[in-house]
Amino acid sequence: MKKLNLSRLTKPLILVLCFAALTILRPKAFPTVSNLSNVLWSISVYGIMTSGTIFVFLVGGIDLSIGSLCGLTGVACVMTIQALGRTNFAVVMGILAAIAVGALAGLFHGLTVTRFRVPAFLITFATSTAYLGLSMLLTNNKIISCTEPALFTGISNYKLVGFPVPVYLMIVVALMSWFILSKTSLGRSFYAVGGNAPASRLSGINDTGVTMLAYVFSGITTAIGGIVLASMTQQCKAMNGSGYENYVIMSAVIGGVSLLGGVGTVPGCIFGAVLIGLLNNGLNLMSVPATEHDLVKGLVIIAAMAFDAAQHQDSARKSLTKLPWLKKKGM
Amino acid sequence: MKKTLTRRSFLKSAAIAAGASVVASTGLAAARDQVTETAAAAAGAKARLDPYSAENKIKIAYIAHDISTPNNQGWLEGIQRECSAWENIEILQYDAQEDAVKQASYVTDAVNQGCAAIILQCSDGTALAPAVDEAEAAGVPVVTVNLDAYTVHSGLVMAVDYDAGRMAADEMAKQMGGKGNVVIIEGVAGLSRTDNLEQGFKDTIAKYPDIKVLDAQPANFQKETATTVMNSFMQNYPEIHGVFVINDAMAEGAALAVDSAGKTGTMFIWGADGEKDALTMIENGQMAGTIYTNSWDEGSTAAKLALFLIDSEYSYTCLTKTPQMIMECVVVTKETVGSIPEADRW
Repeated sequence: MKKLNLSRLTKPLILVLCFAALTILRPKAFPTVSNLSNVLWSISVYGIMTSGTIFVFLVGGIDLSIGSLCGLTGVACVMTIQALGRTNFAVVMGILAAIAVGALAGLFHGLTVTRFRVPAFLITFATSTAYLGLSMLLTNNKIISCTEPALFTGISNYKLVGFPVPVYLMIVVALMSWFILSKTSLGRSFYAVGGNAPASRLSGINDTGVTMLAYVFSGITTAIGGIVLASMTQQCKAMNGSGYENYVIMSAVIGGVSLLGGVGTVPGCIFGAVLIGLLNNGLNLMSVPATEHDLVKGLVIIAAMAFDAAQHQDSARKSLTKLPWLKKKGM
Repeated sequence: MKKTLTRRSFLKSAAIAAGASVVASTGLAAARDQVTETAAAAAGAKARLDPYSAENKIKIAYIAHDISTPNNQGWLEGIQRECSAWENIEILQYDAQEDAVKQASYVTDAVNQGCAAIILQCSDGTALAPAVDEAEAAGVPVVTVNLDAYTVHSGLVMAVDYDAGRMAADEMAKQMGGKGNVVIIEGVAGLSRTDNLEQGFKDTIAKYPDIKVLDAQPANFQKETATTVMNSFMQNYPEIHGVFVINDAMAEGAALAVDSAGKTGTMFIWGADGEKDALTMIENGQMAGTIYTNSWDEGSTAAKLALFLIDSEYSYTCLTKTPQMIMECVVVTKETVGSIPEADRW
């Protein structure tokens, strides 16, 4: 029991260590509210997206389209705002339009994965290209800038107690996901479907519905990320957000999410995102030249993962023997 | 296979005829015609085409490094405008999505499709050199835009790069009164244009003894990342007077960071390219300046050159180095931004 508690603490411990190291190295610049708000601001888009995409990972799927969908939902938001004349009402409609696009895209992924049995990797890879193409077509491949109304730019700029809105959005979305996953029976069914779909079906879980819901959640959080990103850059373009799927997958995997499904937590994902954010911030603050960034990032992530894995080894070994597909492979 | 054989045998004949340039060039032309006939026969076109005659259906390939950037869109529109007057000219667009290998295969595709000329934004000068050679040998002139292919080809149309950095440095130093602290936001290393731009800036700013370059950090050409990097700079250095950003998209991101920190006007933020939004920010005083190049004009110049080459008897084989056409640029500051008319803002 005591051992389990310790292994649970390794992730916060890694963050504390990073935090302490940066505080010692850059005492004036690092431990300030404005710098921390900068770190959290910089990870907020993929923090929000990861909090929803974790559902897809949990049911054993993957969503590669989130980068392009982030761009497409941003396009939907900004173009609606432009079309309705840049009023506050237009902003609300823009946000709704973006979320609708995200949810529909998620529904489509869910349908193709569950009804037509298309592998998630394939369908989301294909739609990723399609969404990018659609955004290019809609924007005529141009940047559409949107610097007003203040309600729109405020989504990323407005500060409450030193922290900008996206940080709170990230916290709210993460809390909601965390609540669903750990406090409701619906949440447990995501783990069950990812762990063993046939068994979950036999135990009365609607695995098709759960899988569809996972993709819809992913689409909706991607839309929120897309809106925030559009507001951050005060513009939309097809390529906005492209490549974010890598950040999302990286945050999730660093945070202990298994791409095979059934394993992972929301706090883990946020830990992964914060670690990436801290690393980027640290490299900037320490004036590390661009050519060394990638190497340092890779090494720190490896070190953190090794440390985390070593602490988890015992509990991991135990839980691994419980995984049904390992038994299957053993046969 | 046939192509390379012919080219080799031509090279042999050229070696024998070395010294007698006239003989060599006719030999070349003959060899080139031979190649072109085989390559172009499938497309039903003749080796020499008059692009301005309605009977000749002409295809020109535009192969972008990454079509989604405003620059690329500007070039594409410039090329389309230039060719729009002739109904027989068709522009084929290819997007290599930042992949040099993909781009090389597109060059070969364009040759096989019977394109009369290729306009190429070359992702990687070394990796694409063989593909460019092959196209030229097949009689398809290649015009590169901004990013050069490291082999002799028909032409390179480029915006000033090193000099743009130099001009930005000089102008920023003037605004700063010759003293203060400067930070640099970089893109991704390895693109000749931005590397040269940065070098030009660094070399020039080093000539001012009272200006210190504090730091240089990458923002990967992403606007939102540039905002974060600029915030880190402001955390780290209390006194920043000048910010040089490798392109305008990132400069806009940096300006937004300075804006939300309430420090607009305390530092001079410079970008490069001259895209529409940056010009607006200069008008609003959020950015101090940029080096403007007319991307439409640049695309249209590349198209003009391609049309000229399609019809002419000019051959790349007589060249010892790639001819360059360098686009005029404008140093834009709040005072001069008005001189760029709305119609020229891409």
